[in-house]
Amino acid sequence: MLEVINVSKVYDDGTRALNNVSFTVEDGEFLVLIGLSGSGKSTMLRCINRLIDPTEGRILYNGQDITNADPRELRQIRRQIGMVFQHFNLVKRSSVLRNVLSGRLGYTNTLSSVLGLWSAEDKQKAMENLRLVGIENKANNRADELSGGQQQRVGIARAMMQEPTLMLADEPVASLDPALADSVMRYFEKLNQERGTSVICSLHVLGLARRYATRIIALKAGEVVYNGDPDLIDDVRFREIYGDEAVEHSLR
Amino acid sequence: MSNPAALAALFSLILPGAGQIRSGHRSRGLIILVITLIIVGLVLWLNLSPASWLGLAVAWAANVWDAWLIAGGQRPKTALLALALALPIYVIGWQVTNIDLVRFFTSANRAAPVVRGLLRPDFFAREIDYGIAGNDFYLPCPAPADAESSAAPNGATVTISQNCGLPGETVQLTGQGFDPNQTLQLWWTNPVGAESRVRIFGEFEPFQVDENGGFQTEITVPNQRYEADNPRAHSLELRYIASQSSYQVTENARLVASRIGETIAQALMATFVGALLAMPFSLFGARNLMAGNPALKVLYYISRTVMNVLRSVEPLIMAIVFVVWVGLGPFAGVLALTMHTIAALGKLYSESIESIDVGPIEAIRATGANQFQIIAYGVLPQVIPPWIAFTVFRWDINVRMSTIIGFVGGGGIGFLLAQWIRLSEYRAAGAAIWAIAVVVIILDLISARVRERLI
Ligand SMILES: Nc1ncnc2c1ncn2[C@@H]1O[C@H](COP(=O)(O)OP(=O)(O)OP(=O)(O)O)[C@@H](O)[C@H]1O
Ligand SMILES: [Mg+2]
Repeated sequence: MLEVINVSKVYDDGTRALNNVSFTVEDGEFLVLIGLSGSGKSTMLRCINRLIDPTEGRILYNGQDITNADPRELRQIRRQIGMVFQHFNLVKRSSVLRNVLSGRLGYTNTLSSVLGLWSAEDKQKAMENLRLVGIENKANNRADELSGGQQQRVGIARAMMQEPTLMLADEPVASLDPALADSVMRYFEKLNQERGTSVICSLHVLGLARRYATRIIALKAGEVVYNGDPDLIDDVRFREIYGDEAVEHSLR
Repeated sequence: MSNPAALAALFSLILPGAGQIRSGHRSRGLIILVITLIIVGLVLWLNLSPASWLGLAVAWAANVWDAWLIAGGQRPKTALLALALALPIYVIGWQVTNIDLVRFFTSANRAAPVVRGLLRPDFFAREIDYGIAGNDFYLPCPAPADAESSAAPNGATVTISQNCGLPGETVQLTGQGFDPNQTLQLWWTNPVGAESRVRIFGEFEPFQVDENGGFQTEITVPNQRYEADNPRAHSLELRYIASQSSYQVTENARLVASRIGETIAQALMATFVGALLAMPFSLFGARNLMAGNPALKVLYYISRTVMNVLRSVEPLIMAIVFVVWVGLGPFAGVLALTMHTIAALGKLYSESIESIDVGPIEAIRATGANQFQIIAYGVLPQVIPPWIAFTVFRWDINVRMSTIIGFVGGGGIGFLLAQWIRLSEYRAAGAAIWAIAVVVIILDLISARVRERLI
């Protein structure tokens, strides 16, 4: 269970990206964060695994305080939380396999991993995860030789190497075309339904959010303006979240 | 005078630009004035030929014309004015740099020995044993001249139409019993023992025996010093190739090979040491690593400044300093190249650190990796390939530079090449130049391949 308690984030330049945000995520939920560009979705997700330090508030994961964890504890918490990025964030010059294996770094001994000595078990696990996302035949290609959709699947395979209990995804399909977007979202759905992994995913297409979310949280100017059932977002709520001018485009 | 155009033209005739300034075009007038003054100054100071006065006159006239156009309300022809102002500058430049097209063409033949050296580089040669058939020849005649025959080895005979004479006289030379089609050379040895080739039909070239083993040729008695009342015996020798070995690598070719090796090693050492030392400089010189802490900022500026200063000094000049410092030889060259390499690679390395993509680093941090793992998996894969590519390219550049550095005593092939050029040994120099070209081309290909694969 993830508990976000009164979290605020003020950047060095004075931007208040999050303002007193609180919510909880139960195990097995598929939570989607929506909101306008600049509403603080990325900031929220990055606070959860402390790629960004929140300015105020606390975040607990399974009762453990992430915000006050020392570096060692933090690494241990991080390895349980996978993360997938909008721009995939693969090491472009490294092979697909090496990118996927890097998801296992939190569990491996420093020396052997730095020397590239991976156990047969880890390699096997990497190939399995690549097979799961359907690109095991690309294992030895350089990451930048893959298409966008394939790269995002490598990103997912990398996160799955952590055997995470919580998966964060920051607009994982925003740089993919709609058809690919759906197929990538289905990997998260599968992970959520078959392994019981909790998912927190930010999306900017409401249609996708409705289709995959078990719950939606909407942020506006760093504050939670909606937290509830995806189906209950009607036109009035939609305008509240996205502003009066907005018109909903759904996929298909 | 009522015509404003004419008045402005007059102003500009007296002081260039004045007419334009008067018409309200102040900056234009000032520019014209300054340029004209510079030209006048250069012409007077450098004491140049009339051609530059002519150029100046054209510029001056264009300035007057420009003032006239402007004051008359017409569109000024700025491009033409600029050309006219540039003309005297070109004329001055031409004279200052001693450009001499006539000499360029008329003296072209002087380049011939160099070109010949390049075409016949001294890589291979065969050792030749000469057979000799000699005749005495008196300068001047002690008694009336006689024809004389002498026996050459292998039963050949040579007949000379007169056995004495004066320089410039023509002498017939006939021979029989030589090997058909053999090549012969004619040498003159004076009483002191100095040898020289004899011109045959005005040429130094060797001549050939015909297919029957005979020859007939005409030679001119060379311009040797003689005393009218003291005839002395000179000797006229026919030399022919008695035996020759197969082609063998010459001593010079061996020298070239060893010095080319020295050059490559020099570049290798400079690149290796330079690359190692460039690494700390590049870390300190990478803006994204040094941001934040003011102490780091200071380090950043120090290392940037050191690199910029080092890079602005030509390796050739550094080599001169190091030759004085550690003495002639390859070590001085290595030092000079190393200094330059530190600066050049340090800058490139730090640029590739600065252009690093932080996305993957963040992603790897998010997996729970520690700092060492983040460096090994997120940072190094991004910087090592470009570093290798830059380093190989540097080696390639360093080889070129080290050939040049030899000219000032920094060791390597350039040292030899400079010597041979000074001694007019163009065939040896040709060998050195060819060797440099081959090595440079090969390295260029290799480094291009490496870069292609890594970047
Ligand atoms: N590193 C930073 N420094 C200063 N301000 C930042 C920084 N990162 C984000 N911000 C600001 O914080 C606010 C929230 O940004 P955030 O990236 O979290 O929004 P988002 O909802 O993810 O938007 P998008 O949909 O465009 O990704 C924005 O106003 C943004 O300009
Ligand atoms: Mg974002």
